[in-house]
Amino acid sequence: MSKISLAFRCFFALLSHGQLTPELMAELGLFRKKEEKPAPPPAPVVKVSDGALQMLGILQRDGRLLDFFLEDIAPYSDEQVGSAARSMHGPCREALNRYFTIAPVIDGVEGTFVQAPSKDPATVKFLGNLPATPPSGGVLRHRGWAVKDVHLPALGPKQNVTVLAPAELEVE
Amino acid sequence: MGDTRFVVGIDLGTTNCALAFADLTSASDGVRAFAIPQTVNPGEIRAEPLLPSFLYLPGVNEFPEGSVPARLVGELARKRGVENAGRLVASAKSWLSHAGVDRTEAILPVAAPEGVERVSPVAASAEYLRHLRQAWEQAHPEAPLSRQEVIVTVPASFDEVARELTLRAAAEAGLGEPTLLEEPQAAFYAWVGRHEDWRERVNVGDRILVVDIGGGTTDFTMIAVTESQGSLQLERVAVGEHILLGGDNIDLALARTVGARLGRISAAQLQQLWANCRVAKEQLLNPEFTGTEVPVTILGRGTGLVGGTLKAALTRADVDQVMEGFFPMVERTDMPAKQTRAAVQEIGLPYATDAAVTRHLARFLSANGLALPTHVLFNGGVLHASAVRERIFEVLRHWGAAARPLEGEDLMQAVARGAAYYGMARHGRGIRIRGGIPRSYYVGIQSSVPAVPGFAAPVRAFTVAQFGMEEGSDIRIPGREFSLVIGEPAEFQIFSSAIRKDDAPGTMIDDLTEELEELPCMEVHFPASSGSHERVRVSFETVVTETGLLQLWCVAPDGRRWKLEFNVRERVAA
Repeated sequence: MSKISLAFRCFFALLSHGQLTPELMAELGLFRKKEEKPAPPPAPVVKVSDGALQMLGILQRDGRLLDFFLEDIAPYSDEQVGSAARSMHGPCREALNRYFTIAPVIDGVEGTFVQAPSKDPATVKFLGNLPATPPSGGVLRHRGWAVKDVHLPALGPKQNVTVLAPAELEVE
Repeated sequence: MGDTRFVVGIDLGTTNCALAFADLTSASDGVRAFAIPQTVNPGEIRAEPLLPSFLYLPGVNEFPEGSVPARLVGELARKRGVENAGRLVASAKSWLSHAGVDRTEAILPVAAPEGVERVSPVAASAEYLRHLRQAWEQAHPEAPLSRQEVIVTVPASFDEVARELTLRAAAEAGLGEPTLLEEPQAAFYAWVGRHEDWRERVNVGDRILVVDIGGGTTDFTMIAVTESQGSLQLERVAVGEHILLGGDNIDLALARTVGARLGRISAAQLQQLWANCRVAKEQLLNPEFTGTEVPVTILGRGTGLVGGTLKAALTRADVDQVMEGFFPMVERTDMPAKQTRAAVQEIGLPYATDAAVTRHLARFLSANGLALPTHVLFNGGVLHASAVRERIFEVLRHWGAAARPLEGEDLMQAVARGAAYYGMARHGRGIRIRGGIPRSYYVGIQSSVPAVPGFAAPVRAFTVAQFGMEEGSDIRIPGREFSLVIGEPAEFQIFSSAIRKDDAPGTMIDDLTEELEELPCMEVHFPASSGSHERVRVSFETVVTETGLLQLWCVAPDGRRWKLEFNVRERVAA
């Protein structure tokens, strides 16, 4: 077995299962730590902000989102802004749909009466002239958005998420 | 092969690879596509239906440590290659069939700067296959690919050398000895596999034209429906030349048309425009789209995104004009413009000089003396566009053919699926197309005539294998014996022809016309038994293996035999 092939198999195993298979361990001459010392592995140091920074990085990488929002667009015509926005829309939308499964909180028709599925104020927000006790439903004005699933890739231990996009230097 | 559980079809494409499989232990599942895990961003692996056939050789510190493999294959390789073409290997398959270079020498990427690693076309193809094998074995650790029935597809126009090199790449990738299958046949198998009632859809005497236009190549094949002992049979009657012309050329032509209106743009911007024009073209070619133009935008390169945005539009007229260039209405007797090339050229692929696909089609039909088709089966991404399919029918109608389409296949996955279906057919679960070898083969024989200064002795061609010789058969060529020197390498000049189909083995051809193409020479090298030179009388024997590989043997009267092997390196050095 060549070194490259072995490295590649380890790479696949680590990225898709987070650990090496027993066969790979044997091939590498590694052993799992003895069972007698069941010291719990140290919790991975993941900061709350890491996922947010990762997502900002992805939206910049795939859809140039930061370039767009950090640029002063005042001097440009609507047409110029519009065509830039249009070409960013596809990639950003694709990234959102790829890394999150996003669905409406209430899958109903806006403008019609619906029952509130929950009393949780983070899930349903009532607007308008509210009675003394919270009502059981109302006219749906915004369906809301909720994340059903997150598919963000695992971060490598050495990955620096604070750099959202690398500087690009071209050699001519 | 006792523990063979799966048949696996691999479409080793010029721009994309695909893998499909079927479980022999549960026939009801049929053929399924396999999603291929690949690095799509540094540190991110995702399974995608296709594996882009690109290999990127990362340099030091190009990616965060440990986030990509040392040989990067697939989506990220394709993306990164746009930014740095000097480390990107693309179209390895076209190089594999390019006889003008040594295909086992590390020549790719051609644009690699001094000091950057290069790989051979064979090694690059092996990387794609190795990636597929590892991806498969990750999902099926109990069924290593080398012990499954694996079918790898090649263009029908691949000559013996390119086929053998494909097998060599497969062996290097740990696939064992897969069976080769021609792509247009695979596409047709996919159609047959999808339509259980196919016998009602075609009749004896029908001629099915397979038009396969991929990203970088175009291939034509004709399959005839015949009858034998009361049951329908399929027979591949002709294959076309390998034409380096495909969908990428169309998109690039569109990008150049639009780019000309934008003034000076950089190579990177042209790339972006290329990708955007592809999307815009598909929109314009969609029959439901009624607009006359689609905006294409190139975003500013730096952080000034909006300010640097270039705006243009791809119009219907642009698309029509470019399509007219690729699919013009031509006469049946029209021929593609002759390849006239400068004597001194950059090392590169022999791209088709004439971009007109329809003229290449006219040539395919007339050079093979074929009757017009009754049905057309399309394959390849370009033919998603109904306008392109319709144009091909229009041209065929103009030539007097009332051809009908055979529809209902997924144009991107059909070849891999069809290959898996063929694998099942080999296990007795489906029909096989009778084809045999797609060319006739000849050994060059130098005439023994008195030497004339300034004139090389004329070479005649001795037929050793006839078009259509079937897999798993062998013949001893009658009529002629040759004297062979043992103890030193002996070389043979080899020719092939896809057009001359009626030369029976043993036929001698005196005039070498353009119908015969010269292949790299073949040689036999073997130690003399006694250590000294020895002359032996030999005759030729031709074997076509079960996997469709052609072998030529020298056989002595006492039963000793020596196999002739292609010498790919010799030709280039000469």
